Parts: sequence; C-alpha cells; structure tokens
Amino acid sequence: MLSSESNKSLVGLIYRAAEQLVGIEQDPAKFTPSNTRFQRGSSSIRRRFRTNEITSTPPTGVAYVSTPVMEEDEAIHGDFYLLAKSYFDCREYRRAAHVLRDQTGKKSVFLRCYALYLAGEKRKEEEMIELEGPLGKSDAVNRELVSLERELATLCKNNTIDPFGLYLYGLVLKEKGNENLARKVLVESVNSYPWNWSAWSELQSLCTTVDILNGLNLSNHWMKEFFLASIYQELRMHNESLSKYENLQGMFTFSNYIQAQIAKARYSLREFEQVEVIFEDLLRNDPYRVEDMDTYSNVLYTKECFSALSYLAHRVIMTDKYRPESCCIIGNYYSLKGQHEKSVVYFRRALKLNKNYLSAWTLMGHEYVEMKNTPAAVDAYRRAVDINPRDYRAWYGLGQAYEMMGMPHYALHYFRKSVFFQPIDSRLWIAMAQCYESEQLHMLEEAIKCYKRAANCNDTEAIALHRLAMLHRELDQPEEAAFYYKKDLERMEAEEREGPNLVEALMFLATHYKTQKKFEEAEVYCTRLLDYTGPERETAKSLLRGMRIAQSGFPSMDVEHFHP
Amino acid sequence: MAGVVKAPGAFAITPHKVSVCILVNIYASPSQISVPFPFSSVSQHNRLGLYLLALTKSCDDILESKLDQLINQLREVGGLLDHWLTDHVTSRLSSLSSPDDLFNFFNELRETLGGPDSGVMEDDQVILDPNSNLGMFLRRCILAFNLLTFEGICHLLTNIGIYCKEAISSCSSYELRRVDDSGNDLESLSEYENMDLNLVFKKINEEMEARKRATEQVSFHLHLPKELSTLVEDIEVFADPKSEHNDKGRESSSYASGELLRDVDPNGGVFLRTNWQIQGYLMEQADTIEKHGSSFTLNAFELTLRQLQKLAPELHRVHFLRYLNNLYHDDYFSALENLHRYFDYSAGTEGFDFVPPAGCNSFGRYEIALLCLGMMHFHFGHPKKALEVLTEAVRVSQQHSNDTCLAYTLAAICNLLSEIGFSTTSGILGSPFSPMISVGTSLSVQQQLFVLLKGSLKRAESLKLKQLVAANHLAMAKFDLTHVQRPLLSFGPKTSMKLRTCPIIVCKELRSGYHLISEFCCEGSTMTADGAFSTAWLKNLQKPMGSLVLSQDNGSRNNSNPFLFFTQPSSIPGSVMQLVGSSYLHRATAWEIYGSAPLARVNALVYATCFADASSSSDAALVHVKLIQHLAVFKGYKEAFAALKTAEEKFLCVSKSRILILKLQLLHERALHRGHLKLAQQVCDELGVLASSVTAVDMELKTEASLRHARTLLAAKQFSQAAAVAHSLFCMCYKFNLQVESATVLLLLAEIHMNSGNAVVGLPYALASLSYCQTFNLDLLRASATLTLAELWLSLGSNHAKTALTLLHGAFPMILGHGGLELCARAYLTEAKCYLSDPSFSVSRNPELVLDPLRQAADELQALEHHELMAEAFYLMAIVFDKLGQPEQREEAASSFKNHVMSLDHPHDVEDPIQSDTLLNA
Repeated sequence: MLSSESNKSLVGLIYRAAEQLVGIEQDPAKFTPSNTRFQRGSSSIRRRFRTNEITSTPPTGVAYVSTPVMEEDEAIHGDFYLLAKSYFDCREYRRAAHVLRDQTGKKSVFLRCYALYLAGEKRKEEEMIELEGPLGKSDAVNRELVSLERELATLCKNNTIDPFGLYLYGLVLKEKGNENLARKVLVESVNSYPWNWSAWSELQSLCTTVDILNGLNLSNHWMKEFFLASIYQELRMHNESLSKYENLQGMFTFSNYIQAQIAKARYSLREFEQVEVIFEDLLRNDPYRVEDMDTYSNVLYTKECFSALSYLAHRVIMTDKYRPESCCIIGNYYSLKGQHEKSVVYFRRALKLNKNYLSAWTLMGHEYVEMKNTPAAVDAYRRAVDINPRDYRAWYGLGQAYEMMGMPHYALHYFRKSVFFQPIDSRLWIAMAQCYESEQLHMLEEAIKCYKRAANCNDTEAIALHRLAMLHRELDQPEEAAFYYKKDLERMEAEEREGPNLVEALMFLATHYKTQKKFEEAEVYCTRLLDYTGPERETAKSLLRGMRIAQSGFPSMDVEHFHP
Repeated sequence: MAGVVKAPGAFAITPHKVSVCILVNIYASPSQISVPFPFSSVSQHNRLGLYLLALTKSCDDILESKLDQLINQLREVGGLLDHWLTDHVTSRLSSLSSPDDLFNFFNELRETLGGPDSGVMEDDQVILDPNSNLGMFLRRCILAFNLLTFEGICHLLTNIGIYCKEAISSCSSYELRRVDDSGNDLESLSEYENMDLNLVFKKINEEMEARKRATEQVSFHLHLPKELSTLVEDIEVFADPKSEHNDKGRESSSYASGELLRDVDPNGGVFLRTNWQIQGYLMEQADTIEKHGSSFTLNAFELTLRQLQKLAPELHRVHFLRYLNNLYHDDYFSALENLHRYFDYSAGTEGFDFVPPAGCNSFGRYEIALLCLGMMHFHFGHPKKALEVLTEAVRVSQQHSNDTCLAYTLAAICNLLSEIGFSTTSGILGSPFSPMISVGTSLSVQQQLFVLLKGSLKRAESLKLKQLVAANHLAMAKFDLTHVQRPLLSFGPKTSMKLRTCPIIVCKELRSGYHLISEFCCEGSTMTADGAFSTAWLKNLQKPMGSLVLSQDNGSRNNSNPFLFFTQPSSIPGSVMQLVGSSYLHRATAWEIYGSAPLARVNALVYATCFADASSSSDAALVHVKLIQHLAVFKGYKEAFAALKTAEEKFLCVSKSRILILKLQLLHERALHRGHLKLAQQVCDELGVLASSVTAVDMELKTEASLRHARTLLAAKQFSQAAAVAHSLFCMCYKFNLQVESATVLLLLAEIHMNSGNAVVGLPYALASLSYCQTFNLDLLRASATLTLAELWLSLGSNHAKTALTLLHGAFPMILGHGGLELCARAYLTEAKCYLSDPSFSVSRNPELVLDPLRQAADELQALEHHELMAEAFYLMAIVFDKLGQPEQREEAASSFKNHVMSLDHPHDVEDPIQSDTLLNA
C-alpha cells in the first residue's frame, strides 16, 4: 500500500536509467567500462546519469542542445549527507530530514525537502485508512506541502535551486492544484537536467491534451523523444508513439523498456501476434519482470492460451505476489477458466493495492457481467470511467450492461460515448448497431449507418457486412443488399470460410440476379450452390432449370409438345 | 465497493457529538430531584431538551457546527444559564487531554442511560430512556467510540483540541474577558493549568498550522485577536524552523490565487453530520431547487456539493443534486452526465423512498433512471425523445414489475401528451402500451391520452399513491375542461351522447384533489417533516424567547414557519401543499375559461395568499399574471402596469418568463387601443420570437403570438392578410385539437370579415364560434360571440336592427356581470347604434335610451385609452345632441371626437418607462 507512486519515483528513476544503461552498453560499438561504476552502488544519483550522458548523446541529424553539465556546487558535507542518505534509504524520512536541518548545500536541501515530502506522503496514506468515514474515504492531505512550497518558492525566487529542487517544487505545485505553474517549473527542470525521468513523467501527467503538449517549451534532447513517445501513447496517438519508440530502439537496441512500450503500443493497435512475440522475447531476457505483464496476459487471454497464461501467472506470483499486475494476471487466468467468482477476488485485490488501476475496474466489470450481477458491473465500469473518461472499454461495458437489462435506449448513450473515444473499433460500432436493431427500438436506418462505419474499420469477424445485407433486404432495398452480399461473399472466399452465411449469400444473389434477368451471374451462383447439400441445392436446381427455360425461349416445351 | 449495498447510517464520533453528549449529560444528570441542579424551572429544562433534539435532527447544513456556533446557540437557549452551560462544556472539553480521559468520559455517559428495565422509576430520578431519541443518540455515540481504533481515538483527541482552540480564537476578546470574569474563572483557570499549557497548546498549534496551511486558509491568523496571538507567540519555542516562515508564507499564499476552487477542501475540524441529516439536507435542497428554478444559485450550491463529495465520496446522492441543479440552469450536457452517473453508482436504490418489492431487489431500479431521463428530455423540450425514453421506462418497469414507477411513468406520459402538441403519436407509442390501448392505434392523440389518464388514475388508486392520485385528478380535470369525451369506438350502437364538456365533472375532479390533505397520512418518510421542523426550530432561536406567536409580524420571515410550529411534527409536506395549491390554480383557470371573473379572481387570490410559500416560483408567477391580467381588463392599464412593476421586482425577469410575456401582452393591447400600430407590430414580433424558441415549442405561446399578429393586421385594416393568418392559425388549432382556442380564432375571423364589410361571410364564423362555445361551456366568450353576431346583423342593414337588439339583450347579463371594460363598452355602443338605426325609434322622444349607454361606454373606454371606440361614441353623441337641438353639448362632444381622432391619427409619443424599457431589452 505504501509503495505509492511518489515513493517509487526516485527508485523508479534509478532503475529506468539503469535499464537504459544496460540497453546501450550491450551495444558493442559503444561499450565503455562504465558499468563497473554502476556496480559500485554509488552515493550519488547524479554521477550515474553522467555516465549515461557521456555514452549516449546520439549523433543524429536533429540539432540537439549540448548536454548541460552539472557542476558539483559544493564540497559534500560527506558525513551528514551520507548519514541522511542512509536514513533515507531505510525509509526513515523524518530522521533524514532532521540530520540535514542545518545543511545549506543544494543537494542537502533537496534531500531534506524530498525526505519531508515523502514523510508527508507516508503519513497521508496512513491517515487515509485511519480516517475512512461511513461514506467513503475522505481525502487526507500531505501536511508538508505548504511549508515545502514556501521554502522552494523562496529558493526559486533567489535562483538558488537545482533541477532536482525544481522537480520537487513542480511536484508540490501539482499536488496543490496549481497546474500551470507546475508545468512551467517542471519544464525548467527537465530543460536544465533532462535525465530525471520522474520529472518527465510528472510533466506527462499534467499534459492531458495535445494542445497543452504543443504549448510546452522543451529544448531538443533525446530524452524528449522518450517523453513524446510515452505521452503520445497516453493521448491515444498510438501510431505516432510507435514510430517514436521504433526510432529510439535504433539507439537503445537492447532496452527492455522500449521493447515493452512497443508491445503496449502495438497492443493498443490490436496487433496481438507481434505483441506476443515481443513479450516472449522480453520474458526471456528479463524473466522476473512483472511490470507491463498484465498487457501480455490480456493478449494471452484474447488468444485463449490457457497454459501460457497459467505459466505466466505462476511466474509472477513467485516473483511478487502483492503487485496489482500479478493479481490482474491471475484474475485474467480465472476468467479464462470461467471461474468468475475467483477472478473477482483477484481483481479486487489488485484494486486494493491500487485504487486507480483502470483496467482492473473494467475487467472486474466484465466478470460481473458474466456473473449476471449487472448493478455491480455498472458500478465497476462507472468507476473506471470516472478515473479516466476516455476509457472506451468501460463505456462499452456500461452500454452492454444496460442492453442486457433490456434498456437499449439508455444503453445508446454509453455506446455513443464509447465510439466517440475509439471510432476505429468495429466491435463498438457493431454493438451500437445491434442496439438500434433491437426489437424495442427497431431503428434500422441508424443501425445501417453504424454497420457501415463498422465495415469501414476492418471488421475482423465480418458481422457488419452480413448484417448490412440482411437489413437492406429487410428494408426492401435489393440493390444495396446484393452489393453487400457480394462483398461479404468476396470476403468469405478470401478467408476460405464456409457456413450458412455463404449459402445465404449465394442464394440471395442467385435469386436477385435472376429477377434482374442477369442470367449469367445467376447461373454462376446457382452452380456454386449445387456444391452444398440441403434444400438450397434443390432450389438452385429448380432455379437453373427455370433460367434455362427462360433463356432458350421455351424450347423445351416445344420439344415436349411435339413429342411423337 | 462495487455491487455491495452500503449500510446506511454508519456513525462517526466527532468533537461536536462529544459536546452534545456533554449537554445530554447535563440535561439528564443522574440526580434525585425533578429539576436537576443548574436548571431553575421545568420549562428551562425542557427547552434544553428540545434544543438537543433539534441539534440531532436538523438538516440545514452538511457540516457540524463549530464550538462558537454552539455557544452562540446555547446563549439563546439557556437564557440565564448560558454562562454556566458554555463554561461547563468548554471546560469539560478542554479537560480531555489524554486517551484515557476519553475512555472515562464515555464510561460516565453510560451511567446516564437507564437500564433496559427502566420501567421501574425511582421517585423523581431523571434517567434517559435508552429508546428515546436522545438515548439512542447517546448509545450510538458510545458504540461508535467503542469501535474506534487507538489511532481513531488519537485523531478524536486532536480534533477536540482544534475544535476548542478555534472557538477560543474566534471569540472576541471581550468574550474572553467575560468568560474570565464569570464566577467560575477559578475553576477554568485551574483547568488550564492542569493540562500542561505549553505542551498541549504547542502541539495543537502546530497541528492547526499545518492543517490551515495545507488548505491555504489564512483567515484564522488574520482575525486573531492581539492578546491571543501574543500568547501563541510566547508559547512557541523556536526549535521548529517552520515557524520562521510564517510571514513569508502569507505572501506566497497569494501566489496561488488561481486555485480558488480548491479552497473548499477540508481543513481541520470539518466534519459531516450524520448520514440521516445529510440526506435530509439534500432533500430540502432538491425541493428548493425545484421550487425556485433558475433563480437558485448555481455556483454556491455547486461548491457545497463539491465539498460534500470530497468528504463523502460514497454518497452518490450528490450527483443527483448536481443533476437537478444543472437541469434548472439549462445545462444539458452536465445534467445528462450527472444523471447517468448517479444511476450508475446507486442503481436507483439510494435516497429514494420506496417500498422494496419482494425479491427483485438485485436488479437495481434502473427504470427510475429512465423516468428521470424522460422528464429531463421533456424539460429541455425534446418531446419525441422524452416519449421514446418513457416508453422504455414503461417496458422496463413492467418487466421488473415495479408498479409504482409504472404509475408515475404513465402520469408523466399523460403530462407530456397534454402539455406538448402532438398531432400524431403513431410509431412512438408502440407495443408496450398494447395492454392498455387494446382498441388499436387508430385512436386520436386525445383519445389515447384519455385512456392513459384513466389507466394511470386506476393504477395510482390501487397502489394508494395519494399524491399521484391527486395529480391525476388534476390532469383529468384539465382534460375534461378542454376536451369533449367522445365515444372511443365509431361503430356499434350509438348512444345519444351530448357532445359537451361538463363543468360538474371538472369540479368533481378538482375537489377530489383536496381529499389529499385530509387523507394524507405518512406516505413518504417522516424524515423531511421531522428535519424541517428541527431546522425551523433552530433558525428561530435567533428571535427572542417567548415571542414565537408574534413572529408573523416580521415581514421578511418565511410565513410558513409559525404554521409549521403549531401543527404537530406530521405537518403537511411541501409537495402536498403544492399539489393542493395547484388545484386552486386549476380552478382559477377553469373559471376563467367558463367566464366567471369574480370566481377566477377569488381562486387566484386564495392561491396567492395561502400557498405562496409552498408554490414553485413559476406557479407563483402564473398567479400574478392572472391577477394582473384581471386588473388590466377590469381596471385599465394604469393599475395593471403599476402591479406589473411590483411583480417584476418579485420575480426574476429571465427570458421566457411568464412575467415577460405578460408585459408584452399588455403593451400590445395598449398599443392597439391607442392606435400605435407600429409599436404593436414590434411587440407582436417579440412575442413571435419567444414562441419560435429553439428549445421547445410552446403551443400556447405560439397560438397567442399568431392571434395577436392577426389582431394587429386587423387594426391596420389589412383584412385579407389578417384573414389569412387567422385561417392558418385555425388550421393549426384544429390539427392539434386546441378546441378552446379554435373558438377564439373563429370569432376573430368573424370580426375580420365584419370589418372588411363582408358581414355575410362573417356570419357563419360567428355561428361556428358560438357552437364551439356552447360545447365547451365558454360562457363569456359566448356572450362576446353573441355581441359580434349582433354587430354583424346590424351591419347587414337597418331592418335587422331589431334582431340585433334582441340578441344583444340576451347577452347583456353575462357581459355586464363578467365582461371587462372593453366588452361592456362595445355592448353599450352597439346597443346605442341599434336604437339609432332602428327606423321606428325616435331620438327626440326618448333621448336617454341612447345617451345613457353612450356615456357609459365613453367612461369605460377612458381607462383603456381606446381612441377608436371613444371617437365613435362621441360622434354618435354629437349627432344625438344635434338632433335634440343642444348645440353646446354637441360642440363639446364634437371637440372630444376631434381630440380622439387626432390622437388616433398622430399617436403622440407619451412614452412611459416600462415601454422604453422593453424596447431596450429587446
């Protein structure tokens, strides 16, 4: 519970950096002995970054700004700082801050402030549990924010603040809701020290639209590419994100991070095959990875790979049982096995670990739908939507739940929301069309419009074309019906699928062309029908016979008539 | 978490509750005498008890009051005792300095309660019955305390510290001194010394500082009295580097001015009231929103809601209130979003009073969502969409066998059908209605509406939903007023039905609405009544004791308060009052239509005086409109405009409000009378703009606008155009079954043809109008149609003057009894003209028979400033005087005639402020 985002941030920062480092250093061309320094378990975060900087400023065509060099501004008060740092590492934040109370060096000030901030966060999370009222949790606040803001603002005004201080200042401002200033401060921080990924990710959480992103005044640095790639993914610009990441992969060939991000981007683009390959590769290199593995489990779920999913679940649970991702993977596994109650238990655990874990809410909603507990499902989906209003899956789930309850008109509202946020997903359009088609509403024109949209966005299950044809036939529009039947037929031929739909299409086309007096086409379809058994075959035969008679201008009758 | 119905009424112990517990302890201290120690009389004792009861029940706010508020209220309640009470509470609170004190305190409380067998009373000993309201409260407090974790107790202790500290700091220094001067100062001082002043104060100070800072509310420091702040400074030891930044902090807080909205988040010492109280508060607010409509403040309430949501994220009712707020401020998208959100979270089971039907609870009650959504679309003027949604609501409630919801939905559909003109419902009212409309869909809208109304009424009666029954009776009355009940089937044995509306049925329906009050028991919970009672009681604390009876004299105070007081707690809820009031409104309208001016006015007056507090602002405006219209018709424009001015001050003159429409109507009429045709046209156009609104089509307004358009054209003598407009209006009325309006339009057509000189063409229209009037019992309109008919006959030639006169005399009683100024004047004029054109009538023999009506007419027209008719009257007078050989009077009449003709031709610009106002606004 206490491993909150902020708490993780510095740690996360370190290991992200280290990952990149490894990603580069295995590149033989750029090999330097600096990994020994990494081994040493250093006293300074900064120094590690410096190694990174030396090795990796890429020689690409973009005019990057020269990498700023941090000068060591102080002779470190070695002992105090070291003591504080050890306290800090042991998570005794207030102790660490107390040790540094009289230190004025920039680094000491930062460490003290950061320790205070984390102490406040820790207390806040404890209080959140303690203060839980009868009507839900009330928001506890970090008590240190105001004093920190005051101190940092003064430092900022006097210009005696380093990029890390700026980062912390931005963090504090963001928590206090002063987003504009926070953005400004964070931009300043990353411009003067680009390797602080935490600052970048705070900045990312403050950029909720493309317009805000474009308004940022960021200097060109290769870290910016990471940032952009990541933010594009957040803003659902998956193609842009993917291309950025692929670019970056050229530089950091062996970076697990980039590999995982590429997998996630491809997952959003629904390219499951590639995603699976990437993740398999990733797991081979990094067998104890838990991060992002929930995406992998989603892929395995969609592909219904029982054993692979169970293997993955086993693996993560041995690595770290109390990670939201692990719980989610197990939930997925049980869901695939059809044991929805158990699956809900695990999703609940994931949510207990991280209340804002979006996909867990949505997946739990799906489970409740399976269990026919619609009110619970609706509640879960709604929570997902309130965490992130752009989550089209949850909107879709809401729509589905209401449709299940026989409220298609009410459900339409949710389907509309869902297609608004994800207009390229044919399944959403099909769901909406089915809603319009339902016997209660029976708004067929609207249904046709939706199916058309679905057919335009790569409908893999080929429902849309068939339904379009059927609807047009129902509305007595044979031309359009024939058009869509033909398209459907072509598609089925291309995918080599057989079935009742095929027969139906052939049957319709045959009769249609016959009534249109296009006998040649009709004959082609009739002959194809002859390959199938059942009543259609007989009908086809009689059709053929009828056509021959019509074509030959009643010759057969004559023959019969003049038979001796 | 998801899908689990939350247990309502979880109860948290807070500093405020602790102080209430202290007071309860005083109220029921285990002593042996009937009036315990500090109290001097029984009534004083009872008063405290009442106060405590009110404290635990009132729902006028979401937050618990602070100590200083409590102290202020105690001052009102305690009278002579107030010092003692406040001192006792504060000292008791500040003596709680360690967790163990709290344990002991709650143990003591337990002794206040009688045992379960408290039936055996010992002498006069005061013991709190554990099942009484206060006893329950005490028990819940004790239970809640026992359930607290140790951390929770620590928090409680800190919060009590802050609670006391805030009160002391916000007391004025005078108060402080007074507290010190009081007799108990020794005791309280020693109390303070006991608890290590330095330590406790410092701790609490730090805590408060941190909390205050955390939420950027510096007001505390700024208002701190000098003495106290020095005290604080003294105590603070400078070990903490933070305190040095105090001043800078204040500077930098202005830095973050962009986050005003975040200022609502909780600072220390903010606690929600009990769940019950909050629900009551929200219900009251919902009532207020519905009552005041758009004049309710949007943002202030939004802030409260946001705070509430922050403090209680699982209280989903907030979303519903937000929906209501947005709805009445015409914010479609937020309203829609919040409605969906509320029902997604609550499944329709939170906050609504309903009797759970057996067994089907797990489905949730989403049909209510559909009902609300339908009403929302109706409100925003999307009738077709509303009907679709309501149809789905009917289906879903049938499916879930939720009969109550079904009854309400049917009533809503009836309302929709009768309010909004549908020319056809085919294709909208579909299959789910088939069980009710088994006759088939070939029925007209009106017939469908009738069947629905009957069905809805029956359903409501069988479910014993009294309010709905009353509302349905009203709707039925409305239907009967304006529609003839035709047989539903056009084949089969034809019974001889007289095709008329029946006023008796209307009266009967209206009367059955009243039974609501007498029959009203406790449908709905008693919660609102209880809570409102306590709230009102607490509000009245501010007034001097004992003068409650006289509180009516205070004009600014809500009139219903004393009323609420003297009835018992089961006083009539506002919604019932509203319903009964609206039955009076219906009566007024009915009499208006039937043509009895005095009865219409009386009913309107009854409504305005008795139901003004319970009524919604739109209904209140409607009543004012009716009264002012009455004034204009019977007293002339001067008084009407004066009354309009006061009404405008009373009601917010938002666009499309009834008051604005009324103003336009009055201006139009006056302009027509004065002969300001340009102005009349302008005003008419403005009305047209209001009618062709984008939000919704108001059929009533639409007819009104085009009727006035035709009138203006008629006054401008553009007869063919006027006839065309009136004709198309008649077609529209026929299409939408607006039969009462049809009669008026037909009459207008007759007048147009008469004025254009085609009396023969006019006759059938007048006769048709007459027959409509007969069918619908529109007596006054019938009289005026008769008048027009007489005028038509007269214009056919002098040999028809006798016929005209007979017709006129037949209508005279009605016209003189109930008609307005204009109608009377026209009748007099016509009478005079009839006599004059009768060849067998000689003026010289009987001059007064002509002169008297002419003088009457001139008098009455004066108030209306109707130049055209006045000129006519004086002209006739002059001729009569000429015949009689009275030249002086002739000259006088002639000069008056000249004046009026002049002012008709040259409309001089005597503008008044009201008029220019409108034009500016336009």
